[in-house]
Amino acid sequence: MNELLNDIDKRLPYQESDEYLDSLIDSATEHAITHHAHSHSKWRVTMIKLSAAAVTLLAVGIGITLLNGHTAQPVPMDGQGPLDEFLNTLSDEEAAQLQYYEIEEIPEY
Amino acid sequence: MTDDSTFQQMLLNPAQRNEGFRCLMKQYGKTLYWHIRRIVIGHDDAEDVLQNTCIKVLEKIDSFKGDGPLMTWLYRIATNEALQHLRRQTSLFQSIDSLGEALTTKLKAEAMLDGHQLETLFQQALLTLPTQQRIAFNLRYYDELSYEEIARITGKNIPSLKTNYHYAAQRVKNYIKEHSQ
Repeated sequence: MNELLNDIDKRLPYQESDEYLDSLIDSATEHAITHHAHSHSKWRVTMIKLSAAAVTLLAVGIGITLLNGHTAQPVPMDGQGPLDEFLNTLSDEEAAQLQYYEIEEIPEY
Repeated sequence: MTDDSTFQQMLLNPAQRNEGFRCLMKQYGKTLYWHIRRIVIGHDDAEDVLQNTCIKVLEKIDSFKGDGPLMTWLYRIATNEALQHLRRQTSLFQSIDSLGEALTTKLKAEAMLDGHQLETLFQQALLTLPTQQRIAFNLRYYDELSYEEIARITGKNIPSLKTNYHYAAQRVKNYIKEHSQ
């Protein structure tokens, strides 16, 4: 067996020459470099897009908050809506009772 | 021969990375090709796996800690890529060890016919081994790596690798004895 292994001497039964393999490895190397550069720039573009989207969302969020703050101003008290009309019909005692009404007193359904 | 620390410096420096990678592949490319070829057998398969290995090396170079030789790290990536390639050739629930026959057919189709009967027979014998055992045997016999290095590549422990190597060698001898008459 040992003689047999010596005969084989770690040779493989394949025909690819050293020159052929050199060029194969060169092309695999260059392809990997191109692929890496491409995927790296793709990753950078994705990150820029994501950042832009995040900034836009933030700006929209801030805009909405400011707009709500602007529109949610106190309603002028000089109007005579149905609520005002109802409150005007109440006596001072009834109005005081309303003031002490607490939310916890609402019965459960 | 460029040493590991020079390679590491070049590969971790974005300005020198591509040149470092070219040098790295010049030095280790052929070793990796033959290691892969011995696992997947077919040349086209080996070419695909080598390509994927190159891509993975560039992708993962930042995670190389330098706690072992660079070559061992390269072997590990190449081995994993080759095993994944074999797994893709199996159907659901089929083990890669069952690919022996298909790989033997590939070997016979690609092996040189004249004057290489012994080498082909030897490869056929290796294909009767379970894949992990075959890989460990190849790393020891062809690449002449130490058991420590093989353990680092395959993640197996040294006593089990030694036992497996001797078992594999015995099996190969028996196969050749049976088939060489």
